[in-house]
Amino acid sequence: MSQNEFSGKTVDEAIGKGLAELGVARDAVKIEIVREPSRGLLGLGGEDALVRLTRVQVVAESAGDVANVAQEILETVLSGMGLPARVEILPDVSSEDEDSFVLNILGEDLSVLIGRRGETLRDLEYLARLMVTGKTGKSIRFIVDVEGYRTRRERQLRDLATRMAARVEEHRQPVTLEAMPPNERRIVHIALREHPRVKTQSIGEGDHRRVMILPQ
Amino acid sequence: MELDNLVAYIARALVEHPDQVEVNADERGGAITLELYVAQGDMGRVIGKGGRIANAMRTLVRVAAMREGKRVSLDVVTRVPGA
Repeated sequence: MSQNEFSGKTVDEAIGKGLAELGVARDAVKIEIVREPSRGLLGLGGEDALVRLTRVQVVAESAGDVANVAQEILETVLSGMGLPARVEILPDVSSEDEDSFVLNILGEDLSVLIGRRGETLRDLEYLARLMVTGKTGKSIRFIVDVEGYRTRRERQLRDLATRMAARVEEHRQPVTLEAMPPNERRIVHIALREHPRVKTQSIGEGDHRRVMILPQ
Repeated sequence: MELDNLVAYIARALVEHPDQVEVNADERGGAITLELYVAQGDMGRVIGKGGRIANAMRTLVRVAAMREGKRVSLDVVTRVPGA
């Protein structure tokens, strides 16, 4: 019998023993009934019930739990990268989704985490989101930031969008911004979505894709 | 945590069979070679569409290795069933 199989006179008794031995709650394990108990013939050859318990990741119940799991995962990854940094959980003020949150990484010398055009940070965020979904079973959106870099960059981009839109309006000529990654182009598109006199579109491919602002 | 442990930690969170995750590391002359082994059915979970997940892992180990002046490569290998 392998370590996670437990026997008892009834299935319930076997499960109870197993949970006690593993010291976990019932929802923290997957329960398989290997064998129902049988009485045997004439009281001979009867067999106890046998169950197999497999620990499963405890599924987070609320957004707050997800944030804590995410914080721990990110801190572990960073220390694994040789960058012991602190991670704080902040509310995501830019999202309408109230479950969304920001993990802000704090520490010295963290520009390596941002990378060229924020690419390293984007990869880190991508993996962290997948890992959190894998561990909690929840796909709650969160943002990974380094010393407020993203927040600052977002403000810059919104200011830039507004200034360029004013220029387009004034000269009735399209303006093309520098090449940006998808998340940054999205910020520009959203910033000008409600603008009555200009529209935006993305042009170019891959690394060279840019936002063009043009008169409506 | 060494880089093989980092890759194993990340991979285990992504796959259906964390117990099948294994990472071999080999270092020669400042170049680290990492081999990530996962169950056959988990390949897609660590490679991702167009290799996006594997590439994101490569980015992180590269940043970590660069801090020690080393180069690193990461390959994903499927475990042969029964082996």
